[in-house]
Amino acid sequence: MTQFAQPITSGYQYGFHKPENYAFKAKKGLSQKTIEEISWHKNEPDWMTKFRLDALKIFYTKQMPAWGGDLTKIDFNNIYYYIKPIGKKAKSWEELPKDIKDTYDRIGIPEAEKKFLGGVSAQYESEVVYKSIQNTLSKKGVIFLDMDSGLREYPDLVKEYFGKLIPPADNKFAALNSAAWSGGSFIYVPKGVHVELPLQAYFRINAANMGQFERTLIIADEGSFVSYLEGCTAPIYTTDSLHAAVVEIFVKKGARVRYTTIQNWSTNVYNLVTKRMRVDKEGIGEWVDGNIGSKLTMKYPSVYLMGKGARGEVLSVAYAGANQHQDAGGKAIHFAPYTSSKITSKSISARGGRTSYRGLIQVFPHATAAKTKVVCDALLIDDASRSDTYPTMDIRHSDVQVEHEATVSKIGDEQLFYLLSRGLKKADAEAMIVNGFIEPIVKELPLEYAVELNRLIQLEMEGSVG
Amino acid sequence: MSLKIKNLSVSLGEKQILKDISLEIKPGTIHAIMGPNGSGKSTLAQALMGNPNYKIQNPKSKIQINNKNIINYGPDERAREGLFLAFQNPTAIPGVSVANLLKTAYQLVKSKNKESRHKVGIRDAVNAHSSQTASGHNPALSVWQFNEMLVEKAKKLGIPQEFLRRSLNEAFSGGEKKKLEMLQALVLEPKYAIFDEIDTGLDVDALKIVAKAIDELKKTGCGVVVITHYQRILKFAKPDFVHILVKGKIVASDGGKLAQTVEKSGYKKWSEN
Repeated sequence: MTQFAQPITSGYQYGFHKPENYAFKAKKGLSQKTIEEISWHKNEPDWMTKFRLDALKIFYTKQMPAWGGDLTKIDFNNIYYYIKPIGKKAKSWEELPKDIKDTYDRIGIPEAEKKFLGGVSAQYESEVVYKSIQNTLSKKGVIFLDMDSGLREYPDLVKEYFGKLIPPADNKFAALNSAAWSGGSFIYVPKGVHVELPLQAYFRINAANMGQFERTLIIADEGSFVSYLEGCTAPIYTTDSLHAAVVEIFVKKGARVRYTTIQNWSTNVYNLVTKRMRVDKEGIGEWVDGNIGSKLTMKYPSVYLMGKGARGEVLSVAYAGANQHQDAGGKAIHFAPYTSSKITSKSISARGGRTSYRGLIQVFPHATAAKTKVVCDALLIDDASRSDTYPTMDIRHSDVQVEHEATVSKIGDEQLFYLLSRGLKKADAEAMIVNGFIEPIVKELPLEYAVELNRLIQLEMEGSVG
Repeated sequence: MSLKIKNLSVSLGEKQILKDISLEIKPGTIHAIMGPNGSGKSTLAQALMGNPNYKIQNPKSKIQINNKNIINYGPDERAREGLFLAFQNPTAIPGVSVANLLKTAYQLVKSKNKESRHKVGIRDAVNAHSSQTASGHNPALSVWQFNEMLVEKAKKLGIPQEFLRRSLNEAFSGGEKKKLEMLQALVLEPKYAIFDEIDTGLDVDALKIVAKAIDELKKTGCGVVVITHYQRILKFAKPDFVHILVKGKIVASDGGKLAQTVEKSGYKKWSEN
């Protein structure tokens, strides 16, 4: 990894360095100057500087979305747009809010991991893990870097794909990300290569990944396979109030990509993420998306089925507790014949929390013999909670098979009494019902994620019972 | 030592259903409760288990397990005191398997005397993959031993092993559901068990299997209440006492022969009063 040895302009540090090395800190607020500075500090090619500045103009002209959640409280002038992620994290374990520390303790996360998750430690041990994974991958020609390094080391490849699937003009927050992005992952899998181990952002631990405006680009060349995991179920504490990421994924002919996210931002965060996969002929694109944290999440991972026989799937699970709104779902756009899509959404609202399913199915005229299925189920824990469904279907011809199922249910008194009568306490019984409800999605998660998610639900239920 | 019901009066909504019921069920005995539709049999079962929809009317009402009055206990506390109810219409719980439920319930019911630990709970995945975790909660049985015991008891009842992993009471036939209720009783080994019309929906072979299991529970010292319309289950699980419940009152109590009287001439004799 040559960049570790290179002298780097200004105070910006890549990779695994001590927090006190981070000298540079931009002023609060967004301006052309801030964006120019970011690009200059990163020593970026001119085209990227221009891309950022153009995106900024678009950001200024775009309206805030009038639908979804309440975005009126976001103050764009009160945000740092460029700051090394390590630098903005809590400096010591003691500075972390008590509830976050308590949750780590109760989930039973090892000390070292706790510190990393809390943003306290740079976790040097993980560098070793990362490097050994890198060795295995590079033998197969797989590229797995943070986005900044990707741009420096593979500028042509990045230029060919970057912003092509989600252009800055897509929406206001995609424009913001395009202007101010930092960190995220860059992955390229060559033709026919199957990456056996799931790639985890967790291993690529240089905290850039957890930035506010991370940008991820994955290219799976023909016939390849890769599974990518990001996030973790333990709450990620951040003092930033806005997380606006962009994820672009290219699934070439016959390739398959699965992208799994578990999001558990602290409940002061607006989580506004644009995720899109382009799936070519006979390729398979899958999103597994879990949203537990944040104040407001607006996220609808989408699959653009471009080639004949392409398949797309979105599995979405959302939990909204007190003062939380999860506006999540998925989109499938059918451009080609014999394409198929499935969106499964499960949401839970408790303690006055609100979940919304928002989905779009579009089938264009030449997408003959297409199939699509949407299943969205909502579970309400109490009367104070809320759930809504906003499905949109735009089908432009008749040779298409469409299924849509939606249910809203409350934890039934009968179910609760049944489990209580077997000796379970109320919180255990509720957690069992909720975990049963999301089981079809949880079983798709890696075991450790599934276990942690189940435990989190348990903790949330204990909290809601008081 | 007994399950004592004293002066139990219960209402559902505005309507009083049970009037001044008193019964005593000793360990190792079978009590049959028979009665026409709407006489309050299921209300008795639900009220004993602590269903919050059923309100206790008489302040003198008592339900005692081995001299401890549990009338103010929640259903979960009653279960941990050793009471069990096999439901007439067990409700479906999607995504929750009987194996998962029993694993958790077994720990809670069996480790009742120890203050239950914080993280005992819903961790099928952990339990299935780490015997350490579960054995930590229940030193008596490892996960492996528990599973073996569960499978063996299921086999005895003719329950296919794959049923143990399927969602509880979802897409099962009436008879299969009843067998799964029976299985839960056998695993949790309650001190006192109430079977609310466990015989409906069972074919003759299944009926024999279930009745045999009830008899087995009795032999291990469990006090059993069998609520039924029909005498046929009582041929295989012979009751020591039969009580006739009509319009919320116990109008007759006698030995096993009373069931045969009912079979012959119905409840008319008591209903007309």
